Amino acid sequence: MKANAFNGKGMPAGARSDRSAVWPLLLSRKVADLAIYLRTMIIFLLVWQGASLWIGNPILLPTPIDVARSFVELAGSGELVSNMLASVWRLLLSFVIAAAVAIPLGFAMGLNRILFEMIDPTVELLRPISGIAWIPLGLFILGIGDALPTAIMFYGAFFPLLINTITAVRAVDRSYVNAARTLGVGEATVLRQVIVPAALPGILVGARLAAGAGWMSMVAAELIGAPSGLGFAVEWYRELLMTPKVLAFIVLIGLMGYLFDRVLRALQRGMTGWAEPRGVS
Amino acid sequence: METLTRASQPKLKLRGIGKEFVLPRTGEHTVALDSVDLDVARGEFLCIVGPSGCGKTTILNMIAGLAKPTSGTLTIDGKPIEGPGADRGVVFQDYALFPWKTVRENIEFGPRYRIGATMSRQERNERVRQLIDLVALNGAENKYPYELSGGMRQRCAFARALANEPDVLLMDEPFAALDAQTRVILQEELLRIWGEDDAGADRRTVVFITHGIDEAVFLADRIVVMSSHPGRINEIKPVALPRPRKPEIRADTRFQELVEEIWQLIRHEAYAATIKA
Amino acid sequence: MTRLADSHLLRAAVLPVTLLVVWQLAVMLHTPSPRTPLPTHVVETAWTLLKTGDLPLALLQSFGRVLAGFAWAAAFGLVLGALMGTYRAFDRALDPLVESFRPIAPIALLPLAILWFGTGTPAAAFIVGYAAFFPMIVNTIHGVKSVDPQLVRAARTLGVGRFTILRTVVLPGAMPYVFVGARLALGVAWTSIIAAELAVGAKAGGGSTGGIGQMMFVFYAYSVDLNGIIVCMVSVGIVAMIIDRGLRRLEYWMLPWKR
Repeated sequence: MKANAFNGKGMPAGARSDRSAVWPLLLSRKVADLAIYLRTMIIFLLVWQGASLWIGNPILLPTPIDVARSFVELAGSGELVSNMLASVWRLLLSFVIAAAVAIPLGFAMGLNRILFEMIDPTVELLRPISGIAWIPLGLFILGIGDALPTAIMFYGAFFPLLINTITAVRAVDRSYVNAARTLGVGEATVLRQVIVPAALPGILVGARLAAGAGWMSMVAAELIGAPSGLGFAVEWYRELLMTPKVLAFIVLIGLMGYLFDRVLRALQRGMTGWAEPRGVS
Repeated sequence: METLTRASQPKLKLRGIGKEFVLPRTGEHTVALDSVDLDVARGEFLCIVGPSGCGKTTILNMIAGLAKPTSGTLTIDGKPIEGPGADRGVVFQDYALFPWKTVRENIEFGPRYRIGATMSRQERNERVRQLIDLVALNGAENKYPYELSGGMRQRCAFARALANEPDVLLMDEPFAALDAQTRVILQEELLRIWGEDDAGADRRTVVFITHGIDEAVFLADRIVVMSSHPGRINEIKPVALPRPRKPEIRADTRFQELVEEIWQLIRHEAYAATIKA
Repeated sequence: MTRLADSHLLRAAVLPVTLLVVWQLAVMLHTPSPRTPLPTHVVETAWTLLKTGDLPLALLQSFGRVLAGFAWAAAFGLVLGALMGTYRAFDRALDPLVESFRPIAPIALLPLAILWFGTGTPAAAFIVGYAAFFPMIVNTIHGVKSVDPQLVRAARTLGVGRFTILRTVVLPGAMPYVFVGARLALGVAWTSIIAAELAVGAKAGGGSTGGIGQMMFVFYAYSVDLNGIIVCMVSVGIVAMIIDRGLRRLEYWMLPWKR
């Protein structure tokens, strides 16, 4: 396998991606990346189509075309959107509550050693008990409905957010705090004007992880105990043995998870663009 | 009569300053500073040089109020130093510019947020504008630190410290991270900004820490030469070179001799530092 | 007295102990039926489950599935990851697939797995394998890519063949990240098995699949034993901690140059 040969669709065959090329390298690189992405996905779809035709059982493995068709169906009937909204709404709600609790708590624990030592052990005890393990108990307390998935998602999002906030607050460079103090500002200002902005990049990373964790908890929670939502839809159609719809929803879950991550990354870059990589002083 | 007394009273007084560390696990005592006595006069440019580990940064931090001595007294204008404050501005070695604020926002930080801030927005903007002119950062007001070169960041750090019009300016090896050429330029700029053309007593008091002996001789009125293990003052050398200091003075015989004298004082310690951990 | 108040242990214990005491008292003052979850009842139930061996057995069953799934995930993940980390063409070709599937949570595939494999161990193992695969491959790729190219060049100039280099230079160099990947993979695998067993239990109406997740479901749907559920939850947490700490220890021990 020639590691350097490049035979993607965007560049002439035999061209090498070496530095002496005169082409506007950046643009053709992006086009080339896209071409490779498409090539892989097309091959994947072809293999899938072949496999499903070979297996011959549409319940076991429907063709990509079936899945695409059911996608359109579901979009038309409004089920796609309604389930999507239900899940996304829960994600937003659980995330906002998790942030409202975890971020202030994280600040308090990051700044106050004693408080940290009192609360952290309990956090570390609860953290390994995944949100999913709470589902039976949660079902008991909350029953099947909207509240259960939201609570489980809250639990899933809470810990990454809390832990990352604590780490971010602790990692704030002492120099900034010292600089502010020698400029004669009070402690409240130091918190507001120095610690919060300095910790923001780390907190946003935590938010991204929390959203991902919440989204994953959503699937499990809805599978087991919800009357609506994407996880519920996957299970519903499985019981009906309507596999193309099952796959359509699974793809949607994956797609949305990916989109959330991208959006949060962009947000991170937009809000904290000033955070240059370390080592550039 | 009063102005005379004020002028002759030292701005900063350090008496018997000591700093000791006790390692919590082994109970080992390390003496970082041992009984340091020092007077810093108003309007004086004082440099502190010495080998690594002699405690010069510790002294600076104590004056800044960022560290406390384990023994001795430390006063400014006769009042004990309790903690950091706007009367003692600091320029840190790594600049410590707030990366999320622009140059302008960094400079106005002190006047805007310090305890007892009374300036109106107009006055503040005016002050910032003057300072930007002074440090020659025109055009960079709205840039973020990561967009600036090392020299520009240093200028911004100066301006930020000066914005509060502190009585005392503390500088901890501010040029250490710069290349040699920029360093020379900024040394001259520093003297200009400090106002070495102006009358003596109106100038700010500066305490400047450096490893570079030639830097110290170029800048200072007096040089405190320290030794380490334990940290203490070895000798205080006055610098009798005329002000304003022209760049050519570096070639002057008196300059060279002074550099050599000071180097001889710390040479063996500097050598030892390269062979011991 | 201040010495005691300063002690880390005391501070750590304050919150959990207070919560437990409040819980115990609150319930005791209301209606202490044997079903109500109480710290004391939980401890009793735990003891019973341990004595009968039900708890350890369930944990072992679940963990066995985790290991089975992990073994597959590790094998695939290491091989593919090493190839992708070394050969750019491989990386470019497979990366879209990996990145496209990664956002699809393992649990989302459970209904599919049940469809394909029925309700039982194979479905659960599949989910575990899928879950463990991604941390393994992502970290292996990162680990391989993090190997200093200079080392590889040095080996080439000594006339060593490509595959030997992979085996003797690249893989050891990638070890730290591979370990991190393994730790994350096992953690995710453990979480997934619980979820899978729970869901399978819920769909199959109990059945004899065994495992701690299934035990939890039985406590929920059949014996309605809340204390039992809590015992299961705590055991899940404890095992998760043991996995994590254990692997960190192993990392520390096996990679002395990282300390």
